[in-house]
Amino acid sequence: MLILRVVYALVWALLSVSPKTHVFHFNLTYVDADADGTFSRRMIGINNQWPLPTIRVKKNDRIQIHFTNLLETKASLHFHGLFQQGTNAMDGPEMVTQCPVAPGSTFLYDFKVTKQAGTYWYHSHSGSQYADGLRGILIVEDTEQDYHFHFDEEVVLSVGEHYHQESSEVLSKFMSRYNPTGAEPIPQNSLFNETKNVTWHVEPGKTYLLRIVNMGLFTSQYLSIEDHTFTIVEADGVFVEPQEVDSLYIAVAQRYSVLVKSKKSTKKNYRFLNIIDQEMLDVLPADLQVISTNWMVYNDDVEMPSPLENNDKSFENQLAKMHPFDDFYLVPLGKEALLPDADVVITLDFTMDVLGDGVTYASFNGVSYVPPKVPTLYSVVSSGKYANNQQVYGSNTNTFVIQNNEVVDIVLNNMDPGKHPFHLHGHTFQVISRSPEGMDEEDPIKFDPNNSSHTNYPEYPMIRDTVQVHPNGFFVLRFKADNPGVWFFHCHVDWHLEQGLAITFVEAPFEIQKQKIIPNHYDNCKSSNVSTIGNAAGNYGETKESWLNLQGENVQVAPLPAGFTTKGYVAMILCTLVAVYGVWSIYKYGMEDVNSEDTEAVIRKLYDILRTNGALEPEYDDGDEELLIAS
Amino acid sequence: MVNVFNVQIFFVVFREALEAVIVVSVLLAFLKQGLGGASDDPLVYKKLVRQVWIGAGLGVLICLIIGGAFIGTFYGLGRDIWSKSEDLWEGIFCIIATVLISVMGIPMLRINKMKEKWRVKLARALLKKPSSRAEKWKIGYLTKRYALFFLPFITCLREGLEAVVFVGGVGISEPASSFPLPVVCGLIAGIVVGVLLYYFGSSVSLQIFLVISTCILYLIAAGLFSRGVWFFENYKYSQQTGGDAAENGSGPGTYDIAKSVWHVNCCNPLTDHGWDVFNALLGWQNSATYGSVISYNIYWLAVIAVLVLMYYEEKTGHLPFAKGLTLGKLNPMYYVKGKKKDELTQEEKEELFEQVKHKKLVSGSGAEEELSLTDKEAK
Repeated sequence: MLILRVVYALVWALLSVSPKTHVFHFNLTYVDADADGTFSRRMIGINNQWPLPTIRVKKNDRIQIHFTNLLETKASLHFHGLFQQGTNAMDGPEMVTQCPVAPGSTFLYDFKVTKQAGTYWYHSHSGSQYADGLRGILIVEDTEQDYHFHFDEEVVLSVGEHYHQESSEVLSKFMSRYNPTGAEPIPQNSLFNETKNVTWHVEPGKTYLLRIVNMGLFTSQYLSIEDHTFTIVEADGVFVEPQEVDSLYIAVAQRYSVLVKSKKSTKKNYRFLNIIDQEMLDVLPADLQVISTNWMVYNDDVEMPSPLENNDKSFENQLAKMHPFDDFYLVPLGKEALLPDADVVITLDFTMDVLGDGVTYASFNGVSYVPPKVPTLYSVVSSGKYANNQQVYGSNTNTFVIQNNEVVDIVLNNMDPGKHPFHLHGHTFQVISRSPEGMDEEDPIKFDPNNSSHTNYPEYPMIRDTVQVHPNGFFVLRFKADNPGVWFFHCHVDWHLEQGLAITFVEAPFEIQKQKIIPNHYDNCKSSNVSTIGNAAGNYGETKESWLNLQGENVQVAPLPAGFTTKGYVAMILCTLVAVYGVWSIYKYGMEDVNSEDTEAVIRKLYDILRTNGALEPEYDDGDEELLIAS
Repeated sequence: MVNVFNVQIFFVVFREALEAVIVVSVLLAFLKQGLGGASDDPLVYKKLVRQVWIGAGLGVLICLIIGGAFIGTFYGLGRDIWSKSEDLWEGIFCIIATVLISVMGIPMLRINKMKEKWRVKLARALLKKPSSRAEKWKIGYLTKRYALFFLPFITCLREGLEAVVFVGGVGISEPASSFPLPVVCGLIAGIVVGVLLYYFGSSVSLQIFLVISTCILYLIAAGLFSRGVWFFENYKYSQQTGGDAAENGSGPGTYDIAKSVWHVNCCNPLTDHGWDVFNALLGWQNSATYGSVISYNIYWLAVIAVLVLMYYEEKTGHLPFAKGLTLGKLNPMYYVKGKKKDELTQEEKEELFEQVKHKKLVSGSGAEEELSLTDKEAK
């Protein structure tokens, strides 16, 4: 008996500890839903459900998703924050690691979640599609012993924004010459767990672990529970030394796990606020609910506090009350030391410019990301011995080739007066320097390696995968290239990603070539008519020249013409000629009026005067006197 | 500079002042030739001359007062109702101004025609018989007695009010400070030219002056027309971008690239000093559109076409390919006002002027003498 029990226990222990394979069949379908209670619209759901299910796995588990696209447009799926060690082809971004999944196709995502645990999420990586609802939470549970904190219950929470129009429409209005300032489209509402006015029932005297994900695509949000504090224990899958704060500032794509201790008494209920950072909005519509109120409910029988007023004054008041912690100062629990000095420093100057089609684009060092004709990963795999040559990946993809195990610094100078959360696929990075907001738009704060205040890097820097840069400021990130793959680095404000605010890392190309890409992925490319062999222009051949030949590649729009073009000169000359002819006509017509009548009268008058005064001869000619006498 | 001196207003006032002076000079010329027995009695002559001057002066004065008051109150009452669709209004006013200027410009090149027209008009007015006996006794008596006061008074008043309306239309989109100076200059210029015309007749030098000023006027009008069209396009673009794109300066994104013919980031007439003069005189835009360039050319072509037609009509008496048709007949008002029957031949005109010479006006003694039109015996 005892032996049986022991065997059972062992088997159970083994099963619960040994990695599982989670198989999902995700059929993308349209679902009509009314997320904010004011407007029903078509959302993208999975298996006719929206919001999307939360995926929960344990560390070292394997995930298999059969992703079938039953929509009218292409799709893809990215697992935000997961390293995809050795499985770069499963990362998800379109034209970077895979072809878009065409309507009717099925794509297989099959990978293991290793070396990490925490709060993550998954979302579409095709344009701005995840605004239409293709987003969900992914939790990788660590084993009980690894938690350095105690909690009674886990609660999963997402925040985000909501647009009433479909994202393709919003995008076309945004990227148009009628939006010359590049003003980002303003959402119609914010969401709390994909809905509004949420009540969270809690029991007194308990500790709750709140896993919070910002699944929005534009605005950062403030979170705060009246009279309660948060204790931050995890950021972007990195456990940190507990930090007690009165509010959270969470940018899109970031995650935080916080502990909330409920009060011992059940006399009151409290407001749980999620507030849009309205500084990120170029225009503030009067009917936008910037401040949204939800409730932490201890006692259903007690009155609920009324929703907090939603106006500018209220926003200012609330802002003054909150002191969100600067995530730069979070200390990872693992206390990883500052990585050694970088082998490669990549400096990115970010600007927004209006190009020749009147649309504002985002550029790094003057280059705005344009997707290549062949997904970059397939270029790596097919280019053989030329894979180490940066030119293979195109001149307009901002590609940087880095070698295995190099330490890389990313210096990003934000020359735009906006807040931008940047995300690196495949890695977490150390945030080693970040400047405050630059107050002078004309003279943004740029990283200066000789400035000691820019280079006093912390001993144990904060580590995460999505970090916000301040307006007109900079940050420096450092990571080790220990994960061969093609990794996208981009602003997670999807509107800016569409404007081209991205770079591509080709990390250890020859190591990448050792990874296996399953046939299903190549088949998927056939159905979306995308080539899988060739450089960024789709060219290939036997020689190096053919691989470096970028003729036909996708490039960004030409810049605006600076000054007069041929068209202008022609117009100017034409106008001048016509005006000269016009003036001449006026002259010709005008001079006709010199009155001959008057001059005749004057001449007659003159003759009269002369005659009366005897200065003129009489009318007859002297010489004709004979004639006169004769007549 | 455009904020202190509005060139369009200058020309409108110039033209109206010129016409007023012509009226005065024509009446004075009639007096000299013998109207109202002026050539018989120097005292009567002086009295009548004084009537003319007082009438004209009073008419002009009242106009200035009314005009000043009108424009003053107008500016006092908020112009801000238009600030929302400012570009649209600017465009409309530019087009109105162009039309007004174009219409009044060409007659300036035919100053003698203008003088002739006034001679006939005034002669007719002086010779008109009252239609009924009752009318004869009420107003007729007074106006006949002081005909040479009322005639210039009413004429100048009417011309002046016309000028006020024109000035209002032309200058409505300009700041109030740009009014006084051009009005004064226009008055002075008009008076000077009228006086020269009176004493020296239409000489070559006067004509050249008129030609040059008309050329400038039409250059300005062409620029205005182009500017009006530009404002319309700018308004449309602003509506589509949901804001005032021009407020962002002259750089990229402040104009519609699809409609642009040329664009330079400097020299913006709306914001850069000095370039507004270039714009006022020649219609310069730093960001030209197809609309503004094409409209500029079309305007000039239209002006040239009209001039060619008028030239042809003067030479041959009718429009090309259409004997019996003149430009006057193309004007719908021709038929409304029944001007056809008002046309006089040269002989009829001579007869008219002879009658004016011998026209007696009411003298101080109250005796009324009238000559009927049937009395063709010249004195």
